Amino acid sequence: MTEPTTRIIGFLCNWCSYAGADMAGMSRMRQPAGVRIIRVPCSGRVDPLLVLRAFQEGADGVLVSGCHPGDCHYGSGNYFARRRLELLKRMLPALGINPERFHYTRVSATEGARWAEVVSAITERVKNANDND
Amino acid sequence: MIGFFICQCGTNISATVDTGKVAAAAAAMRGVAVAESIQYTCSDPGQATIAEAIRGKRLDRVVIAACSPRMHEATFRRALERAGLNPFMLEMVNIREQCSWIHSDASEATRKATDLARKAVARVRHHTPLLARKTAAVRRALVIGGGIAGIQAALDIAAAGIPVTMVERSPSIGGNMARLDKTFPTLDCSSCILAPLMVEVKQHENIELLVNSEVDDVHGYAGNFEVDIRRKSTCVDEEKCTGCMICQDKCPARAPDDFNAGLGSSKAISIAFPQAVPLIASLRKEHCRRFNGNKCRLCQKLCPAGAIDYGQEEAVLRRSFGAIVAATGYDHYDWKASYPTYGMGMYPDVVTSLQYERLLSASGPTGGRIRRPSDGAEPRQVVFVSCVGSRDESVGRPQCCSVGCMYTAKQAVLTREHIPDSQAYVFYMDMRAGGKDYEEFARRAQTRYGTLFIRGRVGKIFPRRGKLVVMGTDTLAGDQVEIEADLVVLATGLDASAGAGELARKLNIACDRNGFMTEEHPKLRPVEAASAGVFLAGACQGPKDIPATVAHAGAAAAKVIGMLARGELEASPMVAAVTESRCAGCFKCRGVCPFGAVEKARLPDGRPVARVIGSVCRGCGICNVACPPGAISLNGFTDKELIAEIVEVLKPDVGYRTLDFG
Amino acid sequence: MEDLISAIKKVLEQVDVVLGWARSEAAGVAAPAFFHTPAEAEGAIFDSTCVHNLAVHLPRLADKKAGIVAKGCDARSIAQLIAEGIIKRERVTVIGVACPGVIDVKKAWRCFGFGKRVSDSGGQVAMEGKTVKREEILLRKCRGCREAGPVIRDVTVGEVGKAPAAPADPAGIRKRFAAMSFAERRQFWQDQFSRCIRCYACREACPLCFCRDVCTMQAHEPGWSGGATNSSQSWMAQLVRISHMAGRCTGCEECERACPVGIPLMLLLEEQNAVVEELFGYRAGSGTEAKTPFLTFDVNNDSWEQER
Repeated sequence: MTEPTTRIIGFLCNWCSYAGADMAGMSRMRQPAGVRIIRVPCSGRVDPLLVLRAFQEGADGVLVSGCHPGDCHYGSGNYFARRRLELLKRMLPALGINPERFHYTRVSATEGARWAEVVSAITERVKNANDND
Repeated sequence: MIGFFICQCGTNISATVDTGKVAAAAAAMRGVAVAESIQYTCSDPGQATIAEAIRGKRLDRVVIAACSPRMHEATFRRALERAGLNPFMLEMVNIREQCSWIHSDASEATRKATDLARKAVARVRHHTPLLARKTAAVRRALVIGGGIAGIQAALDIAAAGIPVTMVERSPSIGGNMARLDKTFPTLDCSSCILAPLMVEVKQHENIELLVNSEVDDVHGYAGNFEVDIRRKSTCVDEEKCTGCMICQDKCPARAPDDFNAGLGSSKAISIAFPQAVPLIASLRKEHCRRFNGNKCRLCQKLCPAGAIDYGQEEAVLRRSFGAIVAATGYDHYDWKASYPTYGMGMYPDVVTSLQYERLLSASGPTGGRIRRPSDGAEPRQVVFVSCVGSRDESVGRPQCCSVGCMYTAKQAVLTREHIPDSQAYVFYMDMRAGGKDYEEFARRAQTRYGTLFIRGRVGKIFPRRGKLVVMGTDTLAGDQVEIEADLVVLATGLDASAGAGELARKLNIACDRNGFMTEEHPKLRPVEAASAGVFLAGACQGPKDIPATVAHAGAAAAKVIGMLARGELEASPMVAAVTESRCAGCFKCRGVCPFGAVEKARLPDGRPVARVIGSVCRGCGICNVACPPGAISLNGFTDKELIAEIVEVLKPDVGYRTLDFG
Repeated sequence: MEDLISAIKKVLEQVDVVLGWARSEAAGVAAPAFFHTPAEAEGAIFDSTCVHNLAVHLPRLADKKAGIVAKGCDARSIAQLIAEGIIKRERVTVIGVACPGVIDVKKAWRCFGFGKRVSDSGGQVAMEGKTVKREEILLRKCRGCREAGPVIRDVTVGEVGKAPAAPADPAGIRKRFAAMSFAERRQFWQDQFSRCIRCYACREACPLCFCRDVCTMQAHEPGWSGGATNSSQSWMAQLVRISHMAGRCTGCEECERACPVGIPLMLLLEEQNAVVEELFGYRAGSGTEAKTPFLTFDVNNDSWEQER
């Protein structure tokens, strides 16, 4: 039997990370196939509850990616997101989720290569997350 | 009734994704009335097929699986509209950039495309028709920066009858181009082609010129920007000053000569350069005796126009604009710290290319005679070093300045023209001469003007017996080269001008990793910034030569004219909206909104509720997350839609569900 | 008690209503009471059976001038409500009381049997002739109380600032929980929430859950959780509430006290409060001017080590 696909929900902001993921595609950068991208206007739109909901629906991992500090299309969305998501990340152990399964990061519209790296690295980390720790 | 259309994109998609299989899977999804695989959905026949299905099958929602929505969402929205549907009843599935182009396993890619299709079908069910909002736009444009880019943009916009305010932070417009001697490849005099345009800006009835001014703050949104412009104190009444230069002649305080790139010196009160527009003096307080504890008031006594006012204060003007053009240009890279082996600026006869322009220029500190700074002697051997702070990973600057090869060739040519028995050497990395007639010009520099081109980087420059020894590698010959030079000219790379990053933040636009402002799309939207109503002109977006800058600025002007000509703007309806019956009146939304788009309103029963000012909201959705009862919601990205996506995209969990979280 | 009664009477001269407690014949503990007149105020009491956090009523009295008798922990809730602009400082008069710690009525019932009138005198909690030392049945929050001096108060009754002397709570469930693996914790919560009956007492008791009728815990849309009483949906509904409490929960433990099936909700809220305090140095309810950390940001200092 083949190894099951590691499914990761990716919430990507439209202006930076989604464009970065497009850029990776335009450059034909091979990536693990388990990421399912959900486009949002801004990482500030990502409710931590959406992340929990994704876990509840059976996602193996969740990734939120927005703009680098100073690059937010709306000025401050990524700053709000950073606070909300850091809290979430630190709350996950109490909820019974290995924090290795959740990542938030920053990829700009020009960083196609970085996006491909992020997808590979995070897929690996999620795959290796041990829930019996 | 949902229509599902999957694009083969020739073989771009169909080579990896089995589009027929995805269409078949989609046909079985709830609400899908028609599912088709089309060779090119964006083509005319492709769009016609979709339109036919909309009419024939009475579709009210459409899902298109194709390229990135960033590419063609607008195209397909128009197609829906033409077919009689609300354009926002569309959902796109990105199966090219984010699927077929990044996967090689066809079954994995097809499964992923099917998951994404299911997600989109679920999402589109929640779509509601949205109407684009129309808002009145202020018919005035702001141009920031008075170099050739700003000048061109301002003149073009003004020519269309739209008033323009140009803000320039230095005392004169003209920018870097005004400092250049001649221009490649035609060797026409830079000032001669620029000066008439500068004068035209000053005299144009539709252009208001504000020099010594900077953009302090920007509020508002496309069509209705409110901009605070800070007018710096120069102690000179612009209305009265006639530009007679008496003050400059008599001023006893020396000051650096910015226009001449630090060569020669100027006075504390001065006119920037003889062709300055406007031709008015300005006083630099940091160099003035009066402002440094002395009693001097010579300029005030001598000014025949009575224009000197030591008490002049800064002022902040607030103006409204419909559109903003950033044309802040470039600065030369400050090479000194990064190139210790080139002397870090200790050797006066190692000059930058911009300084060399001033040495060549008839209006420069040497009156157009090439004289080396150390002793005023005429150099015989001149060595040009290309790519100083360009294409050099060792100093963390991989980017090409795009003009260095050509201006260096030009300067080599001009050196021979000025001093016929001189010899010019150029150390270069590659000769990049891509423009019209550029290659021919560079060739002429070698053949007709005898410039010696050496391919390689210079390792070291050091003084020896009154000369500068330039040591480098000739990578073609595989040799070390050593040249005794009288003068060394460094072709320094280009940076976004100082303060561009700060301005970008005020304008709410992004900068790339080299500090240049980012356009919305590298090919299709080269002058639009990501913030609506803000446009880029010239080198602020990336290094450009003069023809490219003029073309870019003209394009920006055309966009501004197109935007403001109709007097009203269509704004995206994908903004936040409040369901008043669910609003608890806590106003957390108001607290987080970056744009001040939420106001307090009262229902007839006196209950306070939040209300979104649609024309101010930009649709980020930060408020949506902050609202505990979920009363405020971002059109097009509602919780309902996002939850539906999550649930559906993860639906077939047989075989690979590892986490049991509730 | 006379001090309290006269304080309430005095406050009543300036406000429409004072929230306090009165002896109840029906409940095991003192009952919340609304005092409108000096005569009504005669019935006011305060002792370790006054367990409720009365701040929960303030948002609904926002259009009135209200007085409120507040323990230290209650005062934090009031401060947070003011900080969030849900109630106005000038409309509320806080009567801060010296609190001996309040009892865990479930523990009392375990000692005495269910449902009878419980009274407190001189450190002894009594019911139908049987007595137990108050310290032994205090609520968890009172052991190691940090809030003995009400953070906000206009009138003070008694000598505030002295935390009740009580032994620290035996770690019990917390110790077990800390030792669990991620998978075991998921199972733990599934078990806990399989008992949830979706009564929303946790929400009703919470002074900061101001949404009330429009709460998303039980709303059909947008679909955070369904309305079923299965473990999965109840769990998600509670996570909605906990998420909305981020940077707002003052740790009054009313939700856990109110839970009829005894789900240890504070395990999660304590964790969240600790993280918020660690990240932002912020404790909700510390003052009336504070800004909840999730309604703002700090460009330079919000830089936790991020993944890649």
